[in-house]
Amino acid sequence: MSRVIVVTSGKGGVGKTTTSASFSMGLALRGHKTAVIDFDVGLRNLDLIMGCERRVVYDFVNVVQGEATLKQALIKDKHTPNLYVLAASQTRDKDALTKEGVGQVIDGLKEMGFEYIICDSPAGIEKGAQLALYYADDALVVTNPEVSSVRDSDRILGILQAKSKRAEEGMEPIRENLILTRYNPERVEEGEMMSWDDIVELLGVPLLGAVPESEDVLNASNAGVPVILHEGSPAAQAYEDIVARYLGEERPQRFLTAEKKGLLKKLFGK
Amino acid sequence: MTQPIELKGSVMSFTVLKVHSDDIGQVQHALAEKVQQAPGFFQNVPVVIEPTVTALPPTFLAQLMEILRQNGMMPIGLRTQDEAIRQQAEFAGLGIFDIETGKRARAERAKREKGESCAAAPGKLVLKTIRSGQQVYAKNRDLVIIGSVNPGAEVYADGHIHVYGALKGRAFAGAQGDETARIFVSRLEAELVCIAGLYILAEDIPPAIRGKAVTAFLQNEKVEFSELP
Repeated sequence: MSRVIVVTSGKGGVGKTTTSASFSMGLALRGHKTAVIDFDVGLRNLDLIMGCERRVVYDFVNVVQGEATLKQALIKDKHTPNLYVLAASQTRDKDALTKEGVGQVIDGLKEMGFEYIICDSPAGIEKGAQLALYYADDALVVTNPEVSSVRDSDRILGILQAKSKRAEEGMEPIRENLILTRYNPERVEEGEMMSWDDIVELLGVPLLGAVPESEDVLNASNAGVPVILHEGSPAAQAYEDIVARYLGEERPQRFLTAEKKGLLKKLFGK
Repeated sequence: MTQPIELKGSVMSFTVLKVHSDDIGQVQHALAEKVQQAPGFFQNVPVVIEPTVTALPPTFLAQLMEILRQNGMMPIGLRTQDEAIRQQAEFAGLGIFDIETGKRARAERAKREKGESCAAAPGKLVLKTIRSGQQVYAKNRDLVIIGSVNPGAEVYADGHIHVYGALKGRAFAGAQGDETARIFVSRLEAELVCIAGLYILAEDIPPAIRGKAVTAFLQNEKVEFSELP
């Protein structure tokens, strides 16, 4: 049985693609055959973050329009044999995707034995975002601890519950999970950011994990390596936890409270 | 430049097909007979269906529409008060017309306008949180929400609004002008509260009652609050 997972947020720039890259890498490293699809047609980013941009020959739109087969378009990751990337097209616009075409690609991936199919949604609530979530079984809703991001996530949750295939056909609803990114407990304590419990209360979605604000995320993106591979980084540990919890492991939440700084640390900095 | 479209209200007369039977075979037979008498007369005639029987079989409307089309008629709408039949019509893509021509209907409407409660219509019940960007409207009745109204969501009712949860979005009670309408909330954190068109914004809501269980009502053309016991 394969599961289709949409990574979505409504708002742009909150960490959807970073999360898609690290989450799919995490699943693949644990031995699960995983495919990750970039739905952001026209603004493709996933291949950059995955470090495979030079190997893109055919893309998602080519497959949807029958110009290439899935096998031709899937790019094998350099780090693990279990992970494949389906890049977005940089030259087409989002009207190139259709509901039927996307459905055929997802069915094709299921037939090829992929256990997890990750759909990296574009920002917004328009057609591209709606297509990315339409076939989902699970959703990872990525939110930053700030009011506008939380509100946009609330909006996209409403769409998940109304416009997905599962909702339209009256099946069991999409399993929703919250991922907080750029979480900075110090700034939460100072009242500059929303706290995780306020966000969970408002959205009514269980917290899968929080990813602390970290320079490693930016560095990893620029290097074209998913941050989960950045050993020793708190962001990598956070994504590792998130993958484990998604797969049913019980792990206590980390990175939610500020580290108590001792006198020496206060005096001498970090 | 003239506008490409224009919406206008207009009174037109339609052929109404009264259906006195819930047996589709019988109806089909009777229709065929009628059409045979004057085949040209029924070609492309728009028809409004008015069932006089209640509890039609679930596929009745769909079958009837097919039969009408086969006979050259164009079913466009349905006139009934029966809720189950109205739902069928929605699925079948038919417009719905109200039966509100008789004296009784007019009297009932007058009664509603005076603000008397209509015992037959309980409040509209919503058993989930209303999320940002979503709207809910309870026409001619109260609205009861078990869940929260999140920021950016809007809830409207012609009667009262009850929110068993936090009201963080906007609420409009007495949307058609009933000044006796009220809003009841378990936790008031609203962006805007409006009763019969008179509203109060978040920044004008007294801090003392923020986050409390309160009722909002109109007094001297102003929205006032009092804590619930």
